[in-house]
Amino acid sequence: MRKKSGNRIVAMIPVRNEACRYLFQVLEHLSLWVDKIVVLDDASEDDTYEVAKSFNKVIAYKNEKTLFVENEVALRAKLWDLTIRQEPDWIVAIDADEIFEDRIVDEVEFLINQDYYDAVYFRIFDFWASQTHYRVDGGWNPWVKFQLFLVRYDPHLNYTWPQREIHCGRFPMPCQDFIPYYSDIRIKHFGWAEEREHYKKYLFYRDKDLKIHGQILPHTQSILVSPKSNDLEKWCNSKRLYFLRDGNNEGKGADFKNAAS
Amino acid sequence: MGKKVGILTTNFFSPDGTRMVYGGAERYGLELTKLLLELDYEVVWWQIGSGWEKEILPGVKIYTIPETKNEFMTFPNVNQHFYEQAVEMDYAIYFVTFLAYPQALEKSISISHGIFWDFPGFDRQLATEVDRKEWLRRMHIALSGVQKVVSVDTNTINWINATWPGLYHKLEYIPNFVDMANSKPRVEHPDKVRIIFPRRLTSVRGVNEAARAAKVLIGKYPGKVEFHFVGRGHSDLLEAEALKWASENDDIYYYWQPPHIMQELFRHMDIAIIPTKAAEGTSLSCLEAMAAGCAVIASPVGGLTDIVIDGYNGLLVKPTSKNLIEALDYLICNENERKRLGENAVKVAEAFSLERWKQKWRKVIFEIFH
Repeated sequence: MRKKSGNRIVAMIPVRNEACRYLFQVLEHLSLWVDKIVVLDDASEDDTYEVAKSFNKVIAYKNEKTLFVENEVALRAKLWDLTIRQEPDWIVAIDADEIFEDRIVDEVEFLINQDYYDAVYFRIFDFWASQTHYRVDGGWNPWVKFQLFLVRYDPHLNYTWPQREIHCGRFPMPCQDFIPYYSDIRIKHFGWAEEREHYKKYLFYRDKDLKIHGQILPHTQSILVSPKSNDLEKWCNSKRLYFLRDGNNEGKGADFKNAAS
Repeated sequence: MGKKVGILTTNFFSPDGTRMVYGGAERYGLELTKLLLELDYEVVWWQIGSGWEKEILPGVKIYTIPETKNEFMTFPNVNQHFYEQAVEMDYAIYFVTFLAYPQALEKSISISHGIFWDFPGFDRQLATEVDRKEWLRRMHIALSGVQKVVSVDTNTINWINATWPGLYHKLEYIPNFVDMANSKPRVEHPDKVRIIFPRRLTSVRGVNEAARAAKVLIGKYPGKVEFHFVGRGHSDLLEAEALKWASENDDIYYYWQPPHIMQELFRHMDIAIIPTKAAEGTSLSCLEAMAAGCAVIASPVGGLTDIVIDGYNGLLVKPTSKNLIEALDYLICNENERKRLGENAVKVAEAFSLERWKQKWRKVIFEIFH
């Protein structure tokens, strides 16, 4: 069942009104290291669908009415079903404002072409009101937690989604129980990079908190608290391990799927 | 499925179950589990933890024992809990020797991954003569209770023989392994000398001495040498610091890799440094570096002297930054010597093949588990 070579990786990404945000960059970067990208446009009112369709590796779908606001699980479940139609060996779940650091381009084949672990966790860094600094205070600290972004797909398993209104996770159960690996390759999250979007997002999470928990959670409240200067860290690029991919590419000739970025 | 083997360890995962530990001992545990499965045993693991259960291989469960009390460097409550929970087991493996204190299952084996009581902190942890005597008494009970003690190095065996000669018959030397089937040819890169520190970033592994050596030598040979620090830190914040440090120095890298990539990585490296100060067995990293033809600079600590013959397949130096810098400088400037040591290292590594390790373990298993 677990293949040590020749694994195909498919990205799945839900989008809505992302044409003028980071979607182009995200798809451009994903195109360097995945085989297919399944995009589910959740009834965008801008050119999101057209931007997505312009990428060769993208298979795009569009909802007539939005699902996310009322039922995130339904959106994620639909995206999952569309993704597994591509018969992936591995699935990476990413949002339209998240970009892996470039190391992934050289190392992804090594990460997935093995027969031991089935889930890969990564650290995600929330860029705060800038594209240079991320937030490290309280629940924002990216160094202390890993999140699941990449799983091996097994068509014989029975996958189910938890019934939660938000934060249902990117993958169905039982992916969370798969044998894990914790990668040091980081993910940049630009969802908070524009300060003007903060208040609108705060209102969304505040309303969800009140509906689900009856109170506003501290993490949601912290959106409106400006971080002190030492709560922000400057992003430092990791060096790429070009030699790994070059070594892996020996004898494969020019058809190696990841053209140099 | 055949008879059941219960294996007790301290931590395969972190006690809260949120992180898997990918150290040499855990890799040893996986290979041992695979071997037992090949031999048609059913395998169940237990570790210290807060009530969760997981799989470490398909169909192989790990359960937790919610006991954390550490007395004189032993875990008697964990041992007792396991003893009661393992009633369904036919055989037991105590993955760390002291876990067999105070009571071992009748047909059981324990494993020593090397002497861990040679670091200065140990003296502080058992600060009085009374404490030391109590620890020794417990160690003796732990070693006596099992039918066989498998040791990854001769260092431990010699210490036990010198301390309690009567335990001689229990001891079996099975050094660590390297999977030679994964070896691929070296990749040459004539313009640079790549040096790897393939260990966890801890003081006992000599990370501070290695970092000092890196700093000095990238200054002396700008653009000619590269240092790769490859391993997790003991804390998230240390990892953040290490990454920041590497980003400020063009020729210093910091990252970690899953175990199956390490052999691939080593074939791109010229020199591997293992400047460990204590608590060392026959390091898997050192063997993998040797198998890939790296020139190894190690310290004469623990079981490293079982695998590195000074001047033949590597260099052995006391792990000070001065010694490390001197040895590295010598090998950076002497390509022929690097190649000679690396070629000999491959030959020596063949004696530590995974196949030989399996043969030796099979023999022990057949002898004890019948």
